[in-house]
Amino acid sequence: MYKLNCILVSSVSKVCRQVAGSLNAGNSFELQRAVCSSAVRLQEATPSTAASGKTSKDFSHFPPLPGQESPLRWGGKKFDELPIVHIKATYNNTHIQLTDSAGLSMVRTSCGTEGFKNVKKATPIAAQTAGISAAAKATAKGVTYIRVLVKGLGPGRLSAIKGLTMGGLEVVSITDNTPVPHNGCRPRKARRM
Amino acid sequence: MANHLRFFARTIMVHEGNVDAAYKTLNRVLAQDGIIETVKRKRYYEKPCRERQRRNFENCKRIYHADMTRKLAFISKTHRQDPWVGC
Repeated sequence: MYKLNCILVSSVSKVCRQVAGSLNAGNSFELQRAVCSSAVRLQEATPSTAASGKTSKDFSHFPPLPGQESPLRWGGKKFDELPIVHIKATYNNTHIQLTDSAGLSMVRTSCGTEGFKNVKKATPIAAQTAGISAAAKATAKGVTYIRVLVKGLGPGRLSAIKGLTMGGLEVVSITDNTPVPHNGCRPRKARRM
Repeated sequence: MANHLRFFARTIMVHEGNVDAAYKTLNRVLAQDGIIETVKRKRYYEKPCRERQRRNFENCKRIYHADMTRKLAFISKTHRQDPWVGC
């Protein structure tokens, strides 16, 4: 990696005479692709709905704000009252927990509770099975529309949501809740393989 | 995330039950905001010397690619005004 860096530096020093122009081109390209992810920027952007991905049926990719009144209802419930499914997709396992809007747990499944062991828990198929069983238990409790909260980048990240839909639940929104530390705890040392 | 408004940032609504499209959109948004690569990088600790090397390398790569795309765009521009009109 470091040697590649040195080779690139030497090649770049031959190539770039107009560094300022190309740097400007490179940086502005990155800035233009900044799609909103922070609440402040989204609140500024919601008035200007021209670029917010509205189709002819007035569908917005952004969720209804808690302050603003929106006419959208799912099963008679507002967006804030829908139950939440927390999916924790680690690299070795996938946990699925269904809670109501206040946070009280209703259903809890994982790849381990489905009978998978060790390395087989870290597969998308196991996550899908866990999703299907969680959906079955949820429909037994009378739940139809859910919001999904995904945490972690693991193998079961998408297949757990797929399993929930296959089990019969309607997913209303997908949120990514992966914890991003702003340089907090120091992680473990790098693996040397 | 707990101190901010819940279900607002990094949230995509699902349109007409099309979960795949919504997940793809979410992934694209996260990648454009650099969250996925940050999470992957912070899985293991990156020593400051390695971080400096990586930043340097990414800078050089960015400059190189920008110059190369500029060069290719210039070379592939074949429809130009005829400089020798009338000859």
